[in-house]
Amino acid sequence: MLLPLALLVPLGFAVSHIARTGAADPGPLGMAAIYVVMMLAAHFILVLAGHRGDPLLLPLVATIGGIGLVMLNRLPQGLRGTGLFGLELGMAETQLLWFGIGLTAMLAVAIGLRDDGFLRHYKYTWALGGAALLVLTFLFGVEENGARLWIAAGPVRFQPGEAIKIVLVVFIAGYLAEKRALLTGATVRIGFLKIPPVPYLLPMIAIFVIVMLIVVVMRDLGTALLFLGIFLTMLFVATGRRSYVLLGILLFVAGSSVAYNLFDHVRIRVNNWIDPFADVSDAGYQTVQALYAFGRGGLFGEGLGQGLPTIAGRLPIPALETDFIFAAVAEELGLIGAFALLALALALVFRGLRVAMLARDDFSAMLAVGLTTSLGLQTLIIVAGNVKLIPLTGITFPFVSYGGSSLLASFVVVGLLLSISHRSSVASPDEARAP
Amino acid sequence: MIATNVRRLAIYLVIAFAITSVALSWWQVVEAPALAARGDNPQVIAARRSALRGSIFDARGELLASSRVADGISRRTYADTAFTHVIGYASLRFGTTGVERAWDDILTGRADPNPLNDLVNDILARQPQPRDLTLTIDRRLQDFAAAQLGSNVGAVVAIDPSTGAILAMTSTPTFDATPISGDPAAAGDAMERISEGRDNPLVVRSRQGRYTPGSIMKVLTAAAALDTGAITPQTTYPDQPRQEREGFVVEGFRVVEHDLGSIQPALWPLSEALQVSSNIFFAHVGLEVGGETYLDVARRFGFCAPLWIGTEARGLPVAPSFITAESEGDCTPFQDRAELAQASFGQGRVNVTPVQMALLAATIANDGVMPQPYVVADVRAHATDPGGGPTDRIIERYGGGGGERVVESEAARDVRSAMVDAVHAQLGQLYAGGANVANFGVPGVRTAGKTGTAELGGGRDPHSWFIGFADAEDGATPTIAVAVIVESAGSGSGRAAPIGGAVMAEWLRLEGGG
Repeated sequence: MLLPLALLVPLGFAVSHIARTGAADPGPLGMAAIYVVMMLAAHFILVLAGHRGDPLLLPLVATIGGIGLVMLNRLPQGLRGTGLFGLELGMAETQLLWFGIGLTAMLAVAIGLRDDGFLRHYKYTWALGGAALLVLTFLFGVEENGARLWIAAGPVRFQPGEAIKIVLVVFIAGYLAEKRALLTGATVRIGFLKIPPVPYLLPMIAIFVIVMLIVVVMRDLGTALLFLGIFLTMLFVATGRRSYVLLGILLFVAGSSVAYNLFDHVRIRVNNWIDPFADVSDAGYQTVQALYAFGRGGLFGEGLGQGLPTIAGRLPIPALETDFIFAAVAEELGLIGAFALLALALALVFRGLRVAMLARDDFSAMLAVGLTTSLGLQTLIIVAGNVKLIPLTGITFPFVSYGGSSLLASFVVVGLLLSISHRSSVASPDEARAP
Repeated sequence: MIATNVRRLAIYLVIAFAITSVALSWWQVVEAPALAARGDNPQVIAARRSALRGSIFDARGELLASSRVADGISRRTYADTAFTHVIGYASLRFGTTGVERAWDDILTGRADPNPLNDLVNDILARQPQPRDLTLTIDRRLQDFAAAQLGSNVGAVVAIDPSTGAILAMTSTPTFDATPISGDPAAAGDAMERISEGRDNPLVVRSRQGRYTPGSIMKVLTAAAALDTGAITPQTTYPDQPRQEREGFVVEGFRVVEHDLGSIQPALWPLSEALQVSSNIFFAHVGLEVGGETYLDVARRFGFCAPLWIGTEARGLPVAPSFITAESEGDCTPFQDRAELAQASFGQGRVNVTPVQMALLAATIANDGVMPQPYVVADVRAHATDPGGGPTDRIIERYGGGGGERVVESEAARDVRSAMVDAVHAQLGQLYAGGANVANFGVPGVRTAGKTGTAELGGGRDPHSWFIGFADAEDGATPTIAVAVIVESAGSGSGRAAPIGGAVMAEWLRLEGGG
């Protein structure tokens, strides 16, 4: 499965380079080569370790990540970067480094995590850890664009939200797997809503409160929407009750309107969403520039490397490398390419849900659902924000956007999915298949 | 159980991805052409960034604006700040104004003056060719007018009454448009400095400035009254001498005469009333005409609606001049007779542009036919060496629009004769005598004119106005009509009239000499 990719990624790099320089020279393909070798190496390590997890997960991730890396390599490299041991890394090189770190973490989780007991049994400890991270963010968080998403520890900066996301999924999966029967059973009616008895409801409310706390602590509607979405989806899968989801959405709408009134940056974003053209040069600039990029792309795109270059040293869209990487893809590859990227993301989600359906126990199933949903919803929220379907929120496109914390977390998610699917294949030999 | 729910979840997620894809298709396919057409789209800006722009020359082929492309950026240089409020600027950061805006597609070659050529170019996929423009303005007169205004705030507009060609159009203070028309990174600071300048140099006073006109409005009142037969040049008002001393009460409003100095009120007909600029007389005349008729005639002169120097499709916009309050871009009817009486001598709610008043003068000078003003004379093939002057290949010629008769020839002649008296006759000399071109070294030419001292109230100094034309000799064809305003400079006779006279004299000299 990785073989077509081995050809595609260097081809993408070459086309992009030729289009940008106008020379009939494929340019330095070292980065493409390293990327392909990394992915192939990860694949062979899984094979050699006798891993029998889902065989499509890694190729899908590698293809999605390849598209992202081609785009990042095409943008001005001075935009982001790292100085490491006297070595100056550009944006794409830094991202490649994180791909290496992420793949290593994925392999460690996929192969090393032979038993999920310590995840399941210590779910409250995990929840505590997540809460501690949240408190740390609240105390030491660095504010950026009105949202408090970063913790800086010396020279290292990371986004605790990414770690909290995984921990939250583990905790909810553990809790729901244990209490599923109770939550599905007896109900109390309040109007048209059927809700579970109060003692079982309380921890659920607690989780909801934590999610809303995140809004207050991080002041970030995107992360809150993602967390709540994951929670409600898992609750729905565990109980089959649409009413829970409905109730959650109603509460979220109420919470959002409070945030709208409390925080200026939330209000600006919502107003921008309603009419970005009202203030094209300032508040609506980013959104409108993204819409222009989509328009320029059209059906077939401008071609790799042929999107609009920087304007007077600035990117055509602020945060193009993170929040708006999808707009860059849609500009150069057109609607066709954008659809392809969305199809790949959806395929990844399907494989993840398949892992959940084949899981050998409730906890593994719930865990797989939560992890898959985290990837799927994150993609949906940022793409829908890009195309002005919902207000824009600053979260990343998994495996495509620039960003170390996000990439590492996404690879850990894939590692966990691989580990779950490996255990289910081993348990039921019928499903076993070489990766 | 979980497996069933996971299947349902998969369906919901597919639906969510589908909805997102529809939204994506909306912007990438359905809305794409509309997005591509917006002026602030970086695609449009980028195309403009490195596009060579045609040059702009004055009437005698002197270079006023030229571009060169350096480092992939099209930079424009303007030779003369006196032209800034005519030519405008072509900035990569702030867009275009003035002639640069109205002729933008022709200067850059995106459009051809002839739509048929556009079609041919489109089919043959030809590269756009920049075109050059020649203005109707002679740089010598423009610079002279600007120098006359000097550091005063105001405007001078001069028109050739028989053709409508703009001969000069200045607005002070002005600014240098070169720094904002080059590197967009540096344009921001330059623009900030300009906008912080004293008296707001960005305001185009000639076309967009609206002022109370004061007594120059009496020219319109006289034309309306003579044309509709409300008065003859011999009409007098018996109560006038008494009212000159005591005031004239119209519906509770007391029209008070301005200080006539040593002049004794008498039974004045039109000529003398215009010479001494009697408010009482013209209040009577306006009331005689009637509000509805007054507005009808005013509209024929171009009041109460936007004007264009050029055409609406391709021209410089001139803000509408209003006689009464504005409503939906038109003048509302007069509230009462008191408002009509005040408007008749240019006070009340009257608000006019210098271009409109220059057109009023030009129409009287042109025997009652209002010329269609224009400022771009022709479009030519691009001269690769702009320093060497424009090419001979004229692609499109403007002007010669013929004009439109707005008052009868006889009425125009009577007003003209009264305006000549206002400069040359015994009483008039005291007021508008300063405009006589003979004072500026051009003897043997009759000058017609009218001064205005626009009272602003609130203790502010009045605006100084003058409109006029020359040569106004019987049987001669006037070659220049002017409107001059100097903001808060006191009486019209003191400041604006001499500027008007000097500008007309300069033009007569330039014409005579070459």
